[in-house]
Amino acid sequence: MSTRKPYVRPMTGWWLKNPVYIRYILRESTAVFVGIYAVILLIGLIRLSSGEAAWNGWIDAMRSPGAILFHCVALGAAVYHAITWFAVAPKVMPPLYFKGEKVPVEKLVTAQYILAGVIYLVLLGLILWS
Amino acid sequence: MDTIKTDIVIVGGGGAGLRAAIAAAEKDPGQCIALVSKVYPMRSHTVAAEGGAAAVTQPHDNLEYHFNDTVAGGDWLCEQDVVEYFVAHAHEELVQMEHWGCPWNRKEDGHINVRAFGGMKIERTWFAADKTGFHMLHTLFQTSIKYPSIKRFDEYFCADIVVDEGRAQGVVVIEIATGRICFIQAKAIVLATGGAGRVFRENTNGGIVTGDGMALAYRRGVALRDMEFMQYHPTCMPGTGLLFTEACRGEGGYLLNKDGYRFLEDYGLGPPSPEPRNKFMELGPRDRVSQAIWHEKQKGRTIDNPHGQVVHLDMRHLGEKKLRERLPQIYELAEEYMGIDPAHEPIPVLPGVHYTMGGIETDGRTATNLPGLYAVGECASVGIHGANRLGSNSLVELCVFGKVAGEEATQFVKTTSNSPTGTLERQASEIGNRLRGLVDNPSGKERIAVIRSEMAKSMEDGCGIYRTEAGMRATCDKLAELKQRYRSINIEDKSSAWNTEWLLAIELGYLLEVAETIASSALNRKESRGSHQRLEGLEQRDDQNYLKHTLARYAGEGPPKIEYSPVKITKLEPGIRAYGEAGEKAEAERKKKKEAAHGK
Amino acid sequence: MANNEKTIEIEVLRYRPEEDDKPFLQSFKVPFTDDMSVLQGVQYIKDYLDGSVSFRWSCRMAICGSCGMMINGVPKLSCKTFLREYYPGKITLEALKHFPIEKDLVIDLSDFIGKLESIKPYIVPDAPRALEEGEYLQTPRQLDRIAQFSSCINCMLCYAACPQYGLKPEYLGPAAIALLHRYNEDNRDSAKAERMQLLNAHEGVWGCTLVGYCSEVCPKDVDPAAAINRNKVNSTIDYLLRFVAPRGGN
Ligand SMILES: Cc1cc2nc3c(=O)[nH]c(=O)nc-3n(C[C@H](O)[C@H](O)[C@H](O)COP(=O)(O)OP(=O)(O)OC[C@H]3O[C@@H](n4cnc5c(N)ncnc54)[C@H](O)[C@@H]3O)c2cc1C
Ligand code: SF4
Ligand code: FES
Repeated sequence: MSTRKPYVRPMTGWWLKNPVYIRYILRESTAVFVGIYAVILLIGLIRLSSGEAAWNGWIDAMRSPGAILFHCVALGAAVYHAITWFAVAPKVMPPLYFKGEKVPVEKLVTAQYILAGVIYLVLLGLILWS
Repeated sequence: MDTIKTDIVIVGGGGAGLRAAIAAAEKDPGQCIALVSKVYPMRSHTVAAEGGAAAVTQPHDNLEYHFNDTVAGGDWLCEQDVVEYFVAHAHEELVQMEHWGCPWNRKEDGHINVRAFGGMKIERTWFAADKTGFHMLHTLFQTSIKYPSIKRFDEYFCADIVVDEGRAQGVVVIEIATGRICFIQAKAIVLATGGAGRVFRENTNGGIVTGDGMALAYRRGVALRDMEFMQYHPTCMPGTGLLFTEACRGEGGYLLNKDGYRFLEDYGLGPPSPEPRNKFMELGPRDRVSQAIWHEKQKGRTIDNPHGQVVHLDMRHLGEKKLRERLPQIYELAEEYMGIDPAHEPIPVLPGVHYTMGGIETDGRTATNLPGLYAVGECASVGIHGANRLGSNSLVELCVFGKVAGEEATQFVKTTSNSPTGTLERQASEIGNRLRGLVDNPSGKERIAVIRSEMAKSMEDGCGIYRTEAGMRATCDKLAELKQRYRSINIEDKSSAWNTEWLLAIELGYLLEVAETIASSALNRKESRGSHQRLEGLEQRDDQNYLKHTLARYAGEGPPKIEYSPVKITKLEPGIRAYGEAGEKAEAERKKKKEAAHGK
Repeated sequence: MANNEKTIEIEVLRYRPEEDDKPFLQSFKVPFTDDMSVLQGVQYIKDYLDGSVSFRWSCRMAICGSCGMMINGVPKLSCKTFLREYYPGKITLEALKHFPIEKDLVIDLSDFIGKLESIKPYIVPDAPRALEEGEYLQTPRQLDRIAQFSSCINCMLCYAACPQYGLKPEYLGPAAIALLHRYNEDNRDSAKAERMQLLNAHEGVWGCTLVGYCSEVCPKDVDPAAAINRNKVNSTIDYLLRFVAPRGGN
């Protein structure tokens, strides 16, 4: 008989046992808010196609305190998701070289924020202009 | 008893063992090769080698220079025919490593880059950052996976060699995970178990470097050669002994005493220059540099440190960028282990035991005088290091002679056969009982750690950088006492699975055996040569009486019997071993003499 | 040692397969100095307090990869983690997570070794090159592409950090994928196509949900998460290409 008896530790509740895992679960769960937001938008579209009354009803619903609160939370979630995504994006790309030197990760992350900011301003400009 | 039948068993999964296994598998893919290692191969201590591996590479370099550096560096105690073979095959072996994927540092054009190293006339050290051994070991391990005929026994501890009819015919091993004792039958055995640095206190070696193979071969009647020559590396971390590679100085680092003075100038290694100059100053050989530090200490010019008297390794002038690129691991060690930023502060260092020049006596083809038994790598004394190894010669040795060992063993397998398995098994199971008896020792009362640290302390006191008659005698007496006490060693852990205390006890037995050969060999060599430096009127080399190898032979319970054997000289007659300016003069004279001889 | 000696409490999760049904904590008081590593602390326990405590170690300099353990819940190399960082608090040591415990702090890593062997971790050259032809050329830039991924010491900290590996042991995992990537990116190699099949599988890169902790705990800056996620891109391209230009059967 072998004297080996490897002990396998259970994984139950693993995601609560380390702050990193909690943050990970949080990041993943932000997807839920973004998902709900998409569904709400979709409903709005359907309402728009089914006549002015329906559309106005949807608009009113959106003005309720509950809806505003939800949108704030969803915005927060989306921003959090974006931040975490910006942080890992350099891992997904092959290394970039500039004048023979590898571009450092921090620069890549900053570049994403700048890019996001520029896009935001352009969109804002478009809306204000129209 | 479980028996596993193989053709070749290789004990050791470091650079030497892996290279031997690959060579054997390439030479005859049909044979069964067992690769036994007490740790997973990539944990072997080859992993710790930092600086690099030497081979003649640049157009203005040649084999003769490498040969001369090695033989003079070894203070003429090298087997010169073996050195000739070695330098001639070094380059192709490193190219072979490159073909297998080793990530060597390159020049802009994609060719191999080389760096300067102590005692080498011309830059010829190939390097992979400052993790050369790590990269070589992982490359060899990963490449070995390609060969189906190599069957690995990872985390199997070799505890003895079975000898019958005057031939080595297998090994007894302990499967560490279970404590099961097995017999691996083989027609040829290659020992590649590494050095024995752990017999000393302050050392650069890993916990597994306990001289196992040396002790095993020794107990089976094979001589250990030149054991008195233990290399002290001058730049180690105080307290832990961790190594700061010679490449620190190869890249241009200075050694300073407490006055900020580059003291090596005072010890025949000058004159100093701001840029590193081969064989000058900080690029002198290790024995000389370590000895200079010892003298500085006597003169009170060293710096106080909680772990002893230190000097400074100063690399500030090299700048952070170069340090990070060329010496990243050194940077990390200094920062994390000592809280020192080497780009802004000098690193306190002191000499520590680093390398076992001596080892199992073999011929130039790695065969011992016990038929069927081969030895290679740091555990062996094939004859290239003499009284002092040059840095970056030993990683190459693993490749050059690892290959030879694998091929020679393959050859031998074809000419021999085993005794009846039953006979061998009977011997193996007796050995097994004895091993297990250690755990159940009824008279056990001595702590392993206590004996081990008394041994290490005594070795440091008696067999350090400078040795005295009385000091060495005291060490010999101490070792005899410890061997006696070892008999009543106590193992608290009575279990079988992963009983590492049991293994530590067996290793301690090996350490004591090896320590005794070192101390006795040292006591009997009444001269100073290479890393063996004596005081009391014996400060000079004495070629008349001691241009010969020491052989320590097992003589039962007591200390070894010391014998001597001649040194093979082919090309380079013993001469003055000098470095710095004096070295250049000596070399010019050698050249002149040679030309005159040719002119005749 | 000096007499104003400090002591620190070290708790070790013990498991002795021949005696215990499950692990339990045992506490030790260990005298220490500021430069002592956690490894030296456990060595002290083994040498002077309880000889039966088992753990792996060798080099003491963070290069052999033996001495990983959970130190207060975080996977670390015990030889380069220092007791002073925890004093006066206590330290709890446990075998690396997500691996079966063999004994005390010793894990069974045979699963990883099998994975390492499966990824063809060696150069498969296009055409073999004779030694006389000398080295392959590789520019510093080409070397740079593999340098970081070839620095892995197989210490298994990343596996202990990866919950996906804990949940699905079939997952190839960070270090194995980093090593695979190292060979795929090597300009001397030509076996990328064969290795891609391993990556494309469900147990390959798609086993990763980008927790990212593996790269955080890696003591050698290998950044296995980067290797994995770059290969998600590669794997997708590989998948699409197969629709455009199907490869012949093998
Ligand atoms: C810190 C450091 C830096 C160095 N730097 C350099 C350098 O820059 N250049 C250079 O040329 N040299 C260097 N050296 C020297 C060189 O690294 C070693 O001499 C060489 O690596 C030894 O290799 P080896 O294969 O003989 O033994 P090792 O790599 O030590 O392997 C020994 C093997 O034997 C196995 N083993 C031992 N006993 C048993 C047993 N009882 N049962 C089963 N298996 C066993 C072990 O598991 C291991 O696999 C350095 C050495 C050190 C310590
Ligand atoms: S990738 Fe990093 S953490 Fe993972 S095994 Fe390799 S060195 Fe260790
Ligand atoms: S002991 Fe080798 S990595 Fe810690």
